[in-house]
Amino acid sequence: MIKAEMDSFEVPLYFSRSRLSTSSNRTGNWSFIQPAYRDRTAPCSERCPCGTDIPRVESLAAEGKHGAAWATILMENPLPGVCGRVCYHPCEQACNRGEFDTPVAVHALERFLADQAQRARVPQDLKPKAANGKRAAVLGSGPAGLSAASFLARLGYACDVYETEAEPGGVLRWGIPAYRLPGAILAQEIEAIQALGVTLHCGAAMDESLAGSYDALLVACGHGQPQGLGVPGAELARDGLALLHAARSQGGGNGAAPGARVAVIGGGNTAIDVARTLLRQGLRPIIVYRRRREDMPAFAPELERALSEGAQLMELHAPVALAREAEGLRLTLQKMRSLDPGPDGRNPVAPLPDPPSTLLVAEVYSAVGAEPAPAWMQLMERTPRLRLARCSLAFRPTPVAFIGDLETETKSVSEAIASGKEAALALDTCFREGADAVVERLAACRIGAGSALSMELYLGGARARRSPRVVRFPELNRAYFQLSDRARPRALPALASIGSFAEVESGLKAAEAGLEAERCFSCGTCNGCDNCRTFCPDCAVLMEGGSRRIATEYCKGCGVCVEECPRSAMAMTMEDGRS
Amino acid sequence: MRQVLEGSQAVAFAVRLARAKVISAYPITPQTHIVEELAKFCADGSLDGRFICVESEHSAMATMIGAAAGGVRTFTASSSHGLAYMHEMLHWASAARLPIVMAEVNRALGPGWNLWLDQTDSLAQRDTGWIQLYCEDSQEAMDTTLQAYLLAETVNLPVMVVLDAFFLSHTFEPVDVPGQAAVDGFLPTFQPKFQLDPAAPCTLYPMAGPAVYMEMRQSLQAAMDRVPAVYARIQDDFAARFGRSYGVVEAFRCDDAEVVLVMAGTTASTCREMVQNLRAQGQRVGLLKLKLFRPFPAEAIHRCLKGVPKVAVVDRNNSAGAGGIFAQELKAALCNRQERPAIYSYVAGLGGRDITTGTLESIYWKTLEAAEPTQDSQWVDVHEELAKS
Repeated sequence: MIKAEMDSFEVPLYFSRSRLSTSSNRTGNWSFIQPAYRDRTAPCSERCPCGTDIPRVESLAAEGKHGAAWATILMENPLPGVCGRVCYHPCEQACNRGEFDTPVAVHALERFLADQAQRARVPQDLKPKAANGKRAAVLGSGPAGLSAASFLARLGYACDVYETEAEPGGVLRWGIPAYRLPGAILAQEIEAIQALGVTLHCGAAMDESLAGSYDALLVACGHGQPQGLGVPGAELARDGLALLHAARSQGGGNGAAPGARVAVIGGGNTAIDVARTLLRQGLRPIIVYRRRREDMPAFAPELERALSEGAQLMELHAPVALAREAEGLRLTLQKMRSLDPGPDGRNPVAPLPDPPSTLLVAEVYSAVGAEPAPAWMQLMERTPRLRLARCSLAFRPTPVAFIGDLETETKSVSEAIASGKEAALALDTCFREGADAVVERLAACRIGAGSALSMELYLGGARARRSPRVVRFPELNRAYFQLSDRARPRALPALASIGSFAEVESGLKAAEAGLEAERCFSCGTCNGCDNCRTFCPDCAVLMEGGSRRIATEYCKGCGVCVEECPRSAMAMTMEDGRS
Repeated sequence: MRQVLEGSQAVAFAVRLARAKVISAYPITPQTHIVEELAKFCADGSLDGRFICVESEHSAMATMIGAAAGGVRTFTASSSHGLAYMHEMLHWASAARLPIVMAEVNRALGPGWNLWLDQTDSLAQRDTGWIQLYCEDSQEAMDTTLQAYLLAETVNLPVMVVLDAFFLSHTFEPVDVPGQAAVDGFLPTFQPKFQLDPAAPCTLYPMAGPAVYMEMRQSLQAAMDRVPAVYARIQDDFAARFGRSYGVVEAFRCDDAEVVLVMAGTTASTCREMVQNLRAQGQRVGLLKLKLFRPFPAEAIHRCLKGVPKVAVVDRNNSAGAGGIFAQELKAALCNRQERPAIYSYVAGLGGRDITTGTLESIYWKTLEAAEPTQDSQWVDVHEELAKS
């Protein structure tokens, strides 16, 4: 049928319409509450000792902006390549996604981004402040010392880092085996810190007298003094830390006959690393620990890996004596039992009435802990200090900061980095505003309600506009998330990996990293998903110059955008601005 | 080309031939096969259209309204509770004068939960301003769907193409599927009489107060009044191109009939057989099949029935408290006319219960032998004991 014929029926067509568009109807007049973009804090970044802006990192990574994502980590942490490998990633325990399926593999992504940047030689762009004429001496080039020097350099200080060893890195260089942290990765990140203007003095003598030539002194000497076993014959045991040191400087080699059984006493990460190093030297280590397996301070995945590589574990066995015999060392062990938790939350142990047993081994390695060298302990004892979360400060005559293992509760690389940052920000505040301003200034740089501090907040960056209120899982709109598998970095087969000190775990591929970054809920941080604009029934979310704005003249305050924001990055506000 | 198609597929094929641009639906048995087929067409590219998944029938119709206001050909399908859930939007679509086409598969409303044939769902929407066209077989479902677009776009009213659950929606029959070029000749590209256009902003459907609202509804009524003439012309054109015609009603062997049975849907096929059987025995019985229900084709019905003494309306539906709905409509359409039959009302085959030739025959005999019609509908083939318990 032709159109003319259709038209010839002259069908009446009267309905309400107007040449004016609805833009003439200022529906915003109806509202008394309106939505606002209110970024909030993600639980992962609150838990990260370094206060890394993890949602921002992952959203940039998901967009393929690897360089910018890496720079976002560098803002808060000068050692992402190191932390991507050795950090115990408490962020992942706090990850809201853990309540949905499995946490985002933040550590694997951090490593991927750092490796990408190192491979591509992406220049760091940290915009250090102009030199302020002040000089700081840092004693020790471990993670705390490197971190403090890096942050101070960015704040305009001339930093000299003193190191007694021939090469910098401290525990990163000598304590963590190469199969977990290859030397080249560390070397590149140290180079980047030097590029900020930090000067390293290796093979140097260090003592407090250096304070006389500087405006500030930072003591980051770590726990280098091994603690003894405290049993008869303890002097027969070898030092686990020394074994790790030797393995890194000489690349292996051990006096014991290949295949010999050796004992490692201790339950911390050092004990695990000692055992895994011994495995790579062709020996058969038994880890002897006086408490239960679940009480070990060592990070569980490290222990599991050691066991899969062939180490054995004897839990609830305490060494009581060590004696030399013709065939080797006789280690006398007392079987223990676990008691109810004590005031520190840990389960103490007590001996069982059983008679002691003995273990005949070629060697015994002690890895029961370490403490600061006596000179530093004495200095700390006689200096009145202001205790902060991860460091302590003395202000007169020259400001001195004690950082790293000396002051952190949890002995870990990321805690040490956080400690160095805290000291740097505290000293800078002290110089700029006086010692009395330190506590308050640092409190303003906290991420969420935790103790992690942010350099970006200290510098007054965009992140400062974010509310410290942490987004919890029930506050997310999970309708927009789908179950997905967590990325699993590949690892060398357990038994093959003990043939050398080659790195056990390999990094994510770019495609895997992209998918993993997309798993991030971006809790509290707008990642441009555009749900607000899509669902606004009044088209009152406008896109202007790449960012979104609520057109208050049309927004009726229905709250759909806030409800449909998957990540709780919007809030309703009263006309007077109250939430 | 003749193809063996399920009734649901016949509708989907027609929608593809009509080149619908936006399809949106929420699945509900027994309608689902229609939109499943169309989703497949959109996915495989054989239909250049967008299938929009929604969370409800209410949203499906809202999507139709938005898309049609944007000036494109649209399609949705629903059934039973889904159609009931659309109710608010059905009123909106017609008063918005949007030429939306929907397939509606007649299914009983719960409780008791029932997936089978019952016409109450579509008839309950009789006041929503939608044109309703009932189909007897798969060929008619295909042809009616094609015609529905031209009808809707000519009078600017939405059209419901109604199919019986399972008896039609899930039954395979040979269907003559016209070629695309032939359909394009019959149904040209949609040229909307108004549409939303970002280049020329305007407001559709703002507030209309007492000074204008009534005229808007009168305009809608007038458009409905044009439907029989427009549809007749469309059917003529269709017949000239494809050789098939259905009329707004179809009278089958009614000429000298003493009793004419009136019904819609697949029951008409059963009735044709019953009429042939009784005619062979010398009984003067006929069938009037209703195709167009809204607007109600009072003239055409009167033309067919004015000389008939008795009419038996077979309703596969019931308006509780008022009886069979087709019967009510028929009575209302004829009550002011001089020549009119006595109207007997029967409710049968609800919730998928079979209506056999035997059922229809018993209705014939009952009507023939009755002295005068009862005021209320008579329920056929029911277990009285259950009904009274």
